[in-house]
Amino acid sequence: MKQPADIVIALEGISKSFGKVHANKDICLTIRKGTVKALLGENGAGKSTLMSILAGRLQPDSGSITVDGTPTHFSSAKEAIDVGIGMVYQHFKLVESMTVAENVFLGQEGGRMLKPRAMETRVRELANAYNLDIDPAATVADLSMGEKQRVEILKLLLRKSRILIFDEPTAVLTPQEGDELFKALSFMADQGKSIVFISHKLGEVMRVADEVAILRKGEIIEEKSISEVTSKDDLARMMVGKETFLSVVKNKVEGGELVLDVKGLDGNGLKGISLNLRRGEILGIVGVAGNGQKPLVETICGLQAPEKGEITILGKSWKSFFSRRKNQDTLSYIPEDRIGLATCPSMNLSDNFLLTTRKGFKRGPWLRRKRVESESQNVVDRFSVLPGHISAQARHLSGGNLQKLVLGREFFRNPGLIVAEQPTQGLDIATAKAIWDHLVTARESAGILLVTGDLNEAFSLSDRVAVMFEGEIVDLFEVTDMEKRGRIGLMMAGAA
Amino acid sequence: MFDLTIRKRQESLGWTAVLIYSGAVAMALLFSAGLLFFQGNSPIEGLSLLLEGAFGSSYAIEDCLIKAIPIYLCALGVAIAFKLQIWNIGAEGQFALGAIGATWVAITFPGHSSWVMIPSMMAAAFLCGGLWGVIPAVLKLKANANEIIVTLMLNYIAILILDYLVYGPWKSPDSFGFPMTQEFSSGAIIGKIGETNLNWGLLICLISGLVIYIFFKFTVMGFELKASGENVRAARYARFPYGRLVIISMLLSGAFAGWAGFVEASATLNRLQPTIMVGYGYTAIVVAWLARLNPFYIGISSFLLAGLRVGVENLQLELQVPAAFGEIMEGLILLTILAGTFFINYRFVRRPRP
Repeated sequence: MKQPADIVIALEGISKSFGKVHANKDICLTIRKGTVKALLGENGAGKSTLMSILAGRLQPDSGSITVDGTPTHFSSAKEAIDVGIGMVYQHFKLVESMTVAENVFLGQEGGRMLKPRAMETRVRELANAYNLDIDPAATVADLSMGEKQRVEILKLLLRKSRILIFDEPTAVLTPQEGDELFKALSFMADQGKSIVFISHKLGEVMRVADEVAILRKGEIIEEKSISEVTSKDDLARMMVGKETFLSVVKNKVEGGELVLDVKGLDGNGLKGISLNLRRGEILGIVGVAGNGQKPLVETICGLQAPEKGEITILGKSWKSFFSRRKNQDTLSYIPEDRIGLATCPSMNLSDNFLLTTRKGFKRGPWLRRKRVESESQNVVDRFSVLPGHISAQARHLSGGNLQKLVLGREFFRNPGLIVAEQPTQGLDIATAKAIWDHLVTARESAGILLVTGDLNEAFSLSDRVAVMFEGEIVDLFEVTDMEKRGRIGLMMAGAA
Repeated sequence: MFDLTIRKRQESLGWTAVLIYSGAVAMALLFSAGLLFFQGNSPIEGLSLLLEGAFGSSYAIEDCLIKAIPIYLCALGVAIAFKLQIWNIGAEGQFALGAIGATWVAITFPGHSSWVMIPSMMAAAFLCGGLWGVIPAVLKLKANANEIIVTLMLNYIAILILDYLVYGPWKSPDSFGFPMTQEFSSGAIIGKIGETNLNWGLLICLISGLVIYIFFKFTVMGFELKASGENVRAARYARFPYGRLVIISMLLSGAFAGWAGFVEASATLNRLQPTIMVGYGYTAIVVAWLARLNPFYIGISSFLLAGLRVGVENLQLELQVPAAFGEIMEGLILLTILAGTFFINYRFVRRPRP
């Protein structure tokens, strides 16, 4: 264990409210030199608010920020960057059409003329100094998520940031990329940088953090060194304030008729995909992100046409299914992108509920507004979507509540086939558990295709598991097959 | 000392929004006063002449209402397209086509009663204006053509078609060579309301506004249109017929502008002539934006902008201010409104310098 180092930043008595919601209440937090500090908490616990305050994007209602012993006030992100605080956001802020070096230097070009060579050399030096593998001349649009994240890190390093804040950095990464990130984090800490990372994944906190602070409902519940933490369960308990069980009770459902039959699907990055799914079954599709899951899901859900091969959905060919779609006993798609694809942020909950269920509320050309309101309120209540009233705008909901709304809406149509894509990504344990229970219940009347990067989720929920690598299904096995489960890491890496 | 910093608003606004927009209009008036001053006129006198000319007498208010009718219909159309985030700036051309369609009916089948004439002229204006709006929609969907460019270009084409007709085949033999059609038969003219100078076009406005309000609030397609405008990707996800929505919104958008053209030709001019094109289609953009696309507010803002036109006429007479002054003011209002939206989303905060 490292010795307690100098305190670089001390937050004291930080409070911040949005209207009536207290996002942060009287928070005290210290950040030390050369230390990785994890900020752990459920969705809506106030982690992002706190870090936005530290990064100068939000201003606290009260409380003080002390940097190197001097009380400081940030009125913009720029002022925070000037004293060495930088943040890597979950959604990267990069110019896709520019090169890595240009992005790193954006706003710091120094002079009117660009010197591409010099910029590339400087970025290469910086990358080498911190063991970050990247090609400075590459165009950002061609990069993987992991590489884009490294560009964001380089931007901060160039601006001589001493405190680097990461907002759920692994959410968008493949497991391998996550490992590389953790190595980079430790390395940067050894170089004297302070790292703060926001997470709700217990495993990675245990692995990489030196210290952990746990936030619950806007307050710091606990702040301790990682060596004092005895187990993951310990952390989970502190985070949610109650015992959570990470497993799901699943009773056996007899397989029904075929709801999805894919034969020899080819093209769009897919190679000869064949799989089938029966009512009452969950088929997990696992794999490192970017190995063909996206085109597979988009083809099955009708967002792109199959180039070659046959898809039969609920007994109908792909073409006839999507040209005449029924409102009941149909296909429901629960996409990964909850805010950009599944909902309209500035509409209220009942309008968002209507997005996919509108056909059930038609009378001629008319919308039966009264029924829409009562049914959507019903769904909001049954799925405990907070805040519990339908006039709230979707953008004011946390990720978990938004997902519950999407789930409630999609289940409302009694789907026969459900495609759930990363259904619990970015959600806290309690919400994830609730979503899992909903999915297992839905399985009784539907076949579920569960596309996930979370192996724990795949194994807990699925009846069968298919592993994808480079657009192919490399193996498909019963979840009870422990031998195959043991080799799944190799399969995902294409080595088995 | 104080520092000003910009903060994003975290709560939505209530009445402050009204205040901001009024402030924007006041700002535009202030700039206009400055312009008057540079012309050597007294700004106070100028602005009071403007207001007096617009709202100072019952005759003036009547005139404002008459001008507000075509502006309202055009703006309602523009708002439908804007709701779907289709930037239709072609109301001017759709207005021209509507006038052409109505005129064709009026001069081809003269002598019928107004019970036959008015509805068929409305249908023709609806179709011609609507189809003129559908052209850019189809080009957008099939060829990915930018609707801003296409609708703008189509305005010029429409005006040239109108010119061709009134200088050529439709020119009245007894117009002494002036470019205009013969006067419509009495059945083709929208009548006046009671003893006033107002025409029944006002009723078309009221009904259209109500229908559009109901359409957006209570129909499935209205909902689909609104939701697609909010988030096109979600519309695709929820399998809205996006292409069909674009076509229909542009059809309606053009049709309402077309009706404006019909009312103008029938009620105001009683014939078709080039002076029918006075830029209502462009004013409509300012009006729709000022009203945040709400049919009710469009009513208020078209009355105000019509007032501007009427008031400037008075200014022209009294102070010999050029006619372009009205257009300049209109442009200023659009600019200050657009600038005002910044204050809807952000606010300035004062804080003591440490």
